[in-house]
Order: sequence, then C-alpha cells, then structure tokens
Amino acid sequence: MASAPTSKYNSHSLENESIKRTSRDGVNRDLSEAVPRLPGETRITDKEVIYICPFNGPIKGRVYITNYRLYLRSLETDSALILDVPLGVISRIEKMGGATSRGENSYGLDITCKDMRNLRFALKQEGHSRRDMFEILTRYAFPLAHSLPNIGILNEEKFNVDGWMVYNPVEEYRRQGLPNHHWRITFINKCYELCDTYPALLVVPYRASDDDLRRVATFRSRNRIPVLSWIHPENKTVIVRCSQPLVGMSGKRNKDDEKYLDVIRETNRQISKLTIYDARPNVNAVANKATGGGYESDDAYHNTELFFLDIHNIHVMRESLKKVKDIVYPNVEESHWLSSLESTHWLEHIKLVLTGAIQVADKVSSGKSSVLVHCSDGWDRTAQLTSLAMLMLDSFYRSIEGFEILVQKEWISFGHKFASRIGHGDKNHADADRSPIFLQFIDCVWQMSKQFPTAFEFNERFLITILDHLYSCRFGTFLYNCESAREKQKVTERTVSLWSLINSNKDKYKNPFYTKEINRVLYPVASMRHLELWVNYYIRWNPRIKQQQPNPVEQRYVELLALRDEYIQRLEELQLASSAKLSDPSTSPSGPSQMMPHVHTHF
Amino acid sequence: MDEIEFSSTGSGWGPRSEVLAVGWGNSCETVRWLLPRGLLNSCPAGVASCPASSCPFPSPRSPRLTLLESVLLLGPRPTTGGMEFSELIRTGRAQAKLLRGPEAPPLRGTLCVTGHHLLLSPGPQGTSDLWLLLLRSVDSIEKRVSGDSGTITLRCKDLRVLQLDIEGVEATLDIARSIEALSSLESVITSFPFFYRPKGLRLGDAWHFHPPERYYKRVARETNAWRLSEVNEDFSLCLSYPRAVIVPRAVDDDALARCARFRQGGRFPVLSYHHAPSGTVLLRSSQPLTGPQKRRCAEDEELLRAVLAGARPGAPGFILDTRSAQAAKQARVTGGGTEAKAAYPGWKRLHRPLERGRPLQESFVRLVEACGDLEQSMDGWLSQLEACHWLAHVKEALSTACLAARGVEREEACVLVHGAEGTDSTLLVTSLAQLILDPLSRTMTGFQELVEREWIQAGHPFQLRCAHSAFSHACPKHEAPTFLLFLDCVWQLGRQFPLSLEFGEGLLLALFEHAYASPFGTFLCSSEKERCLCEVRTRTHSLWSGLNQPKVRRKLRNPLYVPNPLAIWPSVEPQSLRLWQGLFLRWIRPPEPSQVAWEKVWQRLASKEKTEGCEPTSKPQL
Repeated sequence: MASAPTSKYNSHSLENESIKRTSRDGVNRDLSEAVPRLPGETRITDKEVIYICPFNGPIKGRVYITNYRLYLRSLETDSALILDVPLGVISRIEKMGGATSRGENSYGLDITCKDMRNLRFALKQEGHSRRDMFEILTRYAFPLAHSLPNIGILNEEKFNVDGWMVYNPVEEYRRQGLPNHHWRITFINKCYELCDTYPALLVVPYRASDDDLRRVATFRSRNRIPVLSWIHPENKTVIVRCSQPLVGMSGKRNKDDEKYLDVIRETNRQISKLTIYDARPNVNAVANKATGGGYESDDAYHNTELFFLDIHNIHVMRESLKKVKDIVYPNVEESHWLSSLESTHWLEHIKLVLTGAIQVADKVSSGKSSVLVHCSDGWDRTAQLTSLAMLMLDSFYRSIEGFEILVQKEWISFGHKFASRIGHGDKNHADADRSPIFLQFIDCVWQMSKQFPTAFEFNERFLITILDHLYSCRFGTFLYNCESAREKQKVTERTVSLWSLINSNKDKYKNPFYTKEINRVLYPVASMRHLELWVNYYIRWNPRIKQQQPNPVEQRYVELLALRDEYIQRLEELQLASSAKLSDPSTSPSGPSQMMPHVHTHF
Repeated sequence: MDEIEFSSTGSGWGPRSEVLAVGWGNSCETVRWLLPRGLLNSCPAGVASCPASSCPFPSPRSPRLTLLESVLLLGPRPTTGGMEFSELIRTGRAQAKLLRGPEAPPLRGTLCVTGHHLLLSPGPQGTSDLWLLLLRSVDSIEKRVSGDSGTITLRCKDLRVLQLDIEGVEATLDIARSIEALSSLESVITSFPFFYRPKGLRLGDAWHFHPPERYYKRVARETNAWRLSEVNEDFSLCLSYPRAVIVPRAVDDDALARCARFRQGGRFPVLSYHHAPSGTVLLRSSQPLTGPQKRRCAEDEELLRAVLAGARPGAPGFILDTRSAQAAKQARVTGGGTEAKAAYPGWKRLHRPLERGRPLQESFVRLVEACGDLEQSMDGWLSQLEACHWLAHVKEALSTACLAARGVEREEACVLVHGAEGTDSTLLVTSLAQLILDPLSRTMTGFQELVEREWIQAGHPFQLRCAHSAFSHACPKHEAPTFLLFLDCVWQLGRQFPLSLEFGEGLLLALFEHAYASPFGTFLCSSEKERCLCEVRTRTHSLWSGLNQPKVRRKLRNPLYVPNPLAIWPSVEPQSLRLWQGLFLRWIRPPEPSQVAWEKVWQRLASKEKTEGCEPTSKPQL
C-alpha cells in the first residue's frame, strides 16, 4: 500500500498478455509442440538460459533457436512468459561479462534489436553454452556474412492469395488514367540499362523521346531521371520524382535536362511554372555541389520555382531515433519526459516530412501546378514526400490494397534501399547506410490516421505488422535494394509476399470506422501540438503502458466491422430492390474505377 | 414570481426557448432562429401580456429586431436591490463584425447587449443565423479604438477567443463597459439560470435524481453497517455538507455533532463509497482540528473505530492525507493538523501531496497561454507543455486516486481521504477512485450521480473556484481548476479504456462549460445551504435534465461502450498521459477531422440501435 504510486496498475495480468501477443501471425501453434514452426523453418538448438527481463527481473527459461526465430518459454510456474523474436530483427549480438566476472547473471549475451528493444540472457559459465549460442545466433541472424540463404528464401508458407499479384505497374498507371495525350509508358529501362535502381516500366512525357531520356540520365545522379509518380485525375497536374542534377562546383548545365523539365511543365497549361521541391535543407543542397550534385538554379531553369523543404539526411534521422530509444527503453525517462522527447527531435523531423508532403499535395491540388520532387539520390526523402503526398491526394491509397500498391510502387520499385537501410542479414550494425526512413514514413501515416480516423481502411495493427516484417525477413517484400536485384534473385518466385499474409486475413487489419470517400484531399495538421509519439509502437515492449486489454477492443472492432458489412449488404439489397423496380439492372458500382477516365491507350 | 410565469407563457415564447435550448450546446454557437412565420409581424404575446408591459419598441422597424428587442426586454426585467440590469446597459445595439477564430467565417450584423446575453443579428440580407453568447461566460474583455471604430476581444471561460469589430468609438466603449459590468455580476439570484425556461423541460425535474439518499439505498442493499443521518438537516453542523450524510450505524447524531466540532468546517468523516466486493469503504472528511495542543476527540476516534468494525473483520485503515507530512504538521499552528497515530489504532497515515489552489490555477493559466501562443517556435512546444506542469498534476491526481482505490480493492482496507478543508483534492481523489473501482459510476447516469454527489453535494465551492477561468486578469482569489483537473483525469481514463466509459468526451466538455457558465442552476453556489437559500432547486432548471433529453444524451454517449465489471487501473506513466486536445486546443485546432469522424461513428451506432430496437439481436457477451 505504501509503495510508490507509480508501480504497476495492471489488474488484468497484462504483462503476460502483452508478451504473448508478440507471437507472430499465421503460425499454427500446437500446444504439445514446444516451438511454433513455419513451413521450411528448421530447429537448430535449444538451451536453458535466464532471460533478464528489464521489467520483471530474471526469469528462467528455455530458449529455442531455429533458422528463423529465437523463442523463449519460461520454465517458472508463475510466469507464462514467451518471447518470439525473428532473427532478422537482431541488429547486434554482444557478449557480456568475462570468465572472471562475478555477480549474479552477469555472464551472457546482450542482443540489440532493430525494433526498439534489447534482450539479455544470462548463461552458465561452464560448458561453452554461451559460445555456442553466440555462434549459432550470429550465423543465422547474419546469413549474409556466412553465405547462407536468407530465411525469406527458405520460407515455404502457403497463403490463399498471392501478394505478388497486388502490384502491377501497368494496371496502376491505367487506374491513374495513363497513358494519355501527354504521358506515355516507356520500356526503355526494361533491362535496367538506363537506370539500375529504377523499375523496368516508367512514365515519361509523350514529347520526350527515348534518346532524350538517355541524355537526361547523364545529368541526374545515378541516372534517376524525372519520371511520373502520380497524375491528378481532374487538373492533370503531376508529381514527378528524380534525383539531384549533377551541377557540381562549376555549375554545369545540361540543355537536355532543361528542355526535359520544360516539356514536363508544358503538360500542364494552367500554370506557367514548374514547381521543384528539393527535400534537403538549402545548405545541404549547396554542399552537395562539392560532390558533383546540386540543384536547379534559376538562370538555367527559367520556368521553374525551387523550394527547399529542410528535411535532414539519413544520418540525422538515425541519430534521432537512437535518442528516442535511449529515453524509452528499457525504462522511460519519466522526470522530464516531454523535454527529453523534444530533445530527440524525432517529432520535429516527422513534422518536417509531413509539412513537405502537404506542400507538394497542396501545390498539385490547389496550386494546379505540376511538381518535381528530389533530394540527393531520390530514394529516401523523395520517396517519403511523393508517397505521403499521394496518400493525401488519392483516397485509393488509403485502402489496404491501395496502400500496399503505394509501398510497392513508390518505395520498393523505385529503389528505396531497404537492404542497406535496414541491414537485412548483415552483421555490420554500425553501417552508416542504415536509417529508419521507412519507419519514419509509417509514423507519418500513423499520425495521419490519428487525425483522420475514418479515412483509412487499415488499422494500427496493419502498420505495426508491416514494420515487424520489415525486419523479420520472413517475406521477400522488403528484401534487396531495387527491382533489378530482386529480379536477379527471382524474389517473386522464391519468397512469399507480406501482402499474402495480410490479404489472406484482411479483417484483422481493418479499421471499423473507415468510410470510403472518393477525391477527398486530406491535409493533416503538421503542428507540433498535433503530433504525438507513437507510444503503441515505440514503447510497446514496456508492460506499463499497456492500457485496456487489447482483446476486447479488437473484439469490439470486429463486432463493428460485422455490423458495417451487414449494413452495406442491406443497403445493396435495398438498392437492388429499388433498381429492380426501376427496371434498370445496371446499377453502376462506385469504386476505384471512377478514377479511371476513358482514354485510349497506346498499347 | 412574475418572471417565471412571464417567460413560460404560451407559445409566443417558444422561439426564444428554442434558441436558448440549442444555444448552450457544445459546438453550436450559431443557432437557427426557429420562428413560426405568423409571429414575425406582431409583437410577441409574452411582451404584451407581461405585467410591466412598457414595451419600449411599440412599432418595430423590422421583424427581426422586434424579436431581438423582446429578448432584450426579457433579460433586464428582474431588479436586484433596486438596480435594473438596464442601468448597466449603456447602449442597446451597434453594427459589428464578429470574428470567431481562423476557421469560422466572420459574421456581420447588429450587436445587442441584454441582461444576460450578447446577441448578433445578421443584417436583413444576411443568413438567418443569430449568434448568441451568455455574458457570464466572458472571462476577460479587452477594448481598442482607432479612428471611428473599435475592437473588443472577448476571452471566454470555455477558452474561446472572440473578436468584435464595432462601428463607432462611443458604441464600442459603451458595449465594452456593459459587457464588463454584466459579466461580472456576482449575485446568484439574478443570474441567467433563474430566467432560463427551455421548452420541453419542467422545473424541478431531475433535481430529485441524485442526492445521497439515492446512493444510500444502494449501500443499504449491500451492507447494514451504515445509516443515513439527517443530523445536518438545518446545516448547523456543517455548512458545506448536504442535509443527509451516510455515517456508521454505530455512531449517533450527538456524537456526530461533536465530531463536527473537531473537523475543519464541520466536515466529519462520511461515507463516500462502499466497495461491496471487499466490504470496505472510502471515506472523506476535512482535517482534524488537533492544533498546537494536539487535541483529541473521543467521538471522532470512535467514529473511525466504528468504520473498521463495520468492515470485514481485521480490515486495516488508511488515512490518505493530500498534503505532505510537513504541511500537515505545519497546519497545527493554525489549529489544524492530522490524526495522531496513538489516537486511532488500526489506522495508518499516508501523505500524498496534491497541488491545489493558486499553483493549480497558475498551471492552468500557463497551459492555456501556451496553447494559444501560435507564434511560438515549433521546437519549444513540448518543453513549454512540460513547464506548465498541468500533466504532472494530472499524473499526481490519478496516481493518488489509484493509491486510494488500491487500498480499498487490493488491501481490502478502509480509506479515509482528506487534505485541509476537504473540498478540493479530497473530492478529486474520492471521485476518481470510484471511477476506477465502480463500474456503475462509469455509466452515463452513474457518472452524473457521481458528479452530483461527490462534487456538488459534497460542497466543492464551484461559485468561488469557477468564478474565473484562465483568461481573467484579476488576481485569483479562490479560483482553482480542481474540477477541470478531475474532468481531465476522467478523459485520460476514457482514452486509456476506450470501451469502459459509457459517456464520451462531449459530456466532459459540457460539464467544463457549465461549471464555469451555464444557463442551468446545477453548478450555482458553493454548497447545499446556499442553494437552499437561493431556491436554486425550485427556480432553476437542472443541467442533468438538460443533458438527459434523449436528443442531447445520445450525442454524449461513447458508441464503443461495453460494460466492464473490472476495476480500470490507468497507467500514470508520463508517456501514457496526453494533453486533452479536445479541450485545450478546441478552438485553436481545425475542428474538422476528429469531430466529423465522431459524428460519423455516432450516426453508425445510432442506426445500429434503431435496428436493434425493432429486431432484437443477441448482444455479444464480453
């Protein structure tokens, strides 16, 4: 009674609940079997360890290691603790304590995970059990260094839908009404010869020939030429993405590039200027000249307007997230929580990314101006900006499949370097190429879903599942850096898509409050007052933040979903009945097809 | 009373009631002037038939103004100590433009000050919307003149900021002075609730709904150890207690009288909540008057002994003092103090200091300032929010309530809560602890009963605490947002347990608004005694009857609600607590997304109810 008032107030034994909840989806768990196993997953070893739980103290358990996961089951009768961690989540494995170290549980392993937690195991000093566990974990968590196949390749799971079929670029562009009189689809990059980090299929101005494209490519960093990402269904303004121009210290110019941007500008007759958003801070853009990059200057590009969006680079973001982890794991910095949070600058970065995307969306929608977005290489901040702007502009992307298509298109196909940014299967935890850019994007999406609770078909669990499998390597979706590498590795043949898991059990990921709206532009409020830390993700391992049991909430959501379906069905019946009365059988269903204007295609 | 009869006469006054009935709602500041067509052309019947029918506007120039003026007439009618409201009204009307923040379009029209309201009637070509503001809700007023026009900025108690651009310097100053004078009137019986007669409500409704007698019926079903005492029938024992209180059966009224003399303000320990599963209770009182001589009181000691004896055998007792040990000790100098260990065997004392009074008010003011400061740079916001300490107060209040609740539920102990006067932090802790423990208090009716019983009847001095909100320039005397802190804590509970409260944010916002300025009488006065003297119960309408009209009640419901029989233990970690944006940023943020969303959710659930009504479906058991 007299103990500190801030101790646990979890009346429903939430801790066990919460830890159990981390078990992976779609896994058949036979109680008689010690470890859940996926098809294709093989068991490597098991050991008795002491798990040093940062919240409940040491717990004796047995750890099972397979080629996919680390699974721990408590051996203590009063604890039902289960840990289920895919090895892909592991970023670093360290030995703690030496032969001479004394003190209880001071000898063992400290495992740093990519998902905002650390795991510590104490082992017996005798019998090389630590060395064994260290070697096995290192081997299977970092297959890259041991020339082992990635777990995603070994996964033999079967789902009743094929997630690889979700994204078909031709269909997606056709949905947008492309090609049309101004824009054509080109296969110039079919063998990834023009640009090895771009997809095979690109949409470019009708008036630019393939030769033009090749000449423009020489002037853009890594040949990432300006190509269309999205076209406004009504005013026909476009979002175009690319990398920085290779201006360099001498201020080089390229007539073809200038002409090309002018051609893009001319596809839109409403505004005489093309707006260029450079995602970087002004100084960074200038500094990039030293390494051959730069930005579009006024005197070279006459009919353009250039704005800098002040978003910092991958290194700044990485350090910021590191600071977030410092204040939330294992213990939350309580005494000055808000100012500590502020000093991480994480929300400030979120704000800048969102603000940039809002500007892009607003320019296209209200400003009726076509927009060109780039940063340095055009695969990090550019992807964030184009995809978030598209999410704001096009309600199609706010559905589950639409969002999958958005990720597949703007991130995966356009070469966001997932393998490098996440470090899949790579032991080099300090690699400067790693950065939580995609996580930041998902965080922005979450912030939007908070502000518009009815606008998204998916729920928080959907976003967290995507993030979990961003690291787990169970699915091929996020493996490798670009389409050409994925093609070479035959990813679609040899791995399963994350979307197979999700789409085969969609109800779990649905937001019951979703109300489909066509053509509504969402402008979130990107003020610090309206952004919050995504506690359910960043602090989810801390049992104290758990609030009402997730089960009833989810159950209630499911009820609401069922209710909604019932109403929709009833509505359809009524519509059918009334249309039958009107003896007009062709009731046109409303849907994404509305977005498709009737234009003849060039195929 | 002329006024009552007058204002409730016939259908002629329907329109006015309609306006007011809609006007007090949460988000509805512009109301539609619902008026039968025929009435437009004649002076409303009510005016003609009123006893002092010196209608100053016998020949109306325009139908709209007739109405306005008749409303204007209604307000100033009552006299107070020989002074008419009309003496405070410097000018009848002026042309003005109203700016209501960045989102709403400006309104232009004729501005009128009446006894209780500020009205803006759009010009003849304008829309048919009439804008209306209860003058009582004005917290501070600022005037500026330049050239031949002026600007008045009104900062309201519900944290809204309004700007009026008025033609004419003289008119501006007059109107400003009128608003200033009328908004700060302290007399209770001339306040608007005494004149407010909404259509569809009857006087006296719902007033019988909540008193302690009703709660006692529930306690009596659960245990026999307690009785309802009417020892305070004439408020002679305790000025701030209601007529009836629930006390241990073993203690007679004479002993209570002696206990009362030993407790500050006569607030002897009374039952706040009986926790049936453990058979233990939550009590509240004020501090004992031990003083420097360490006085004792045998009856007080006996009372607490009887409490333990009435609970399950061997139940321990905890005295939860909402002051620090140091402060409690210091209180002895001024005659107060705390229970001596030796005098109360079986009771253990705990100190959990809670901020109240001025520091709390200052925290509130700073927070509102920070929220309204739109210029401030973006990197400062979180540390600024932290520096306000508001969330720290929320955390402290919730964790102290958790402690009290845990004492009752986990330790199966009797818990007595008190601070000094026992009318602020004490009520905060006992009411929150009940919400945590008692599923019934989380229902719509149960929560209203809780507020009535644990705040209004328990003698929280609303009249003093809510005299001003966060904008007043006047130096705070008795103001403190204790009740707002309570509402904020409830909001945090609702956020953490989205299914467990039957009511939504709307009810909490309504209670905040009405506690500070209301057309209803519920939050008037500081105690039951005062309310009796002012005849609040017979002469004003109850907020509860206003809120429980089916149309209103539905909107206040939480559509996700599923009864939860368990205790709800909130997380009080700082990262689990949020700024209550719906209140503090209500007029700053664009209302669109979440409000619209809830409207949709509400509609969806409403349609569910309808079908359930006609074809009963099995409700899922959780």
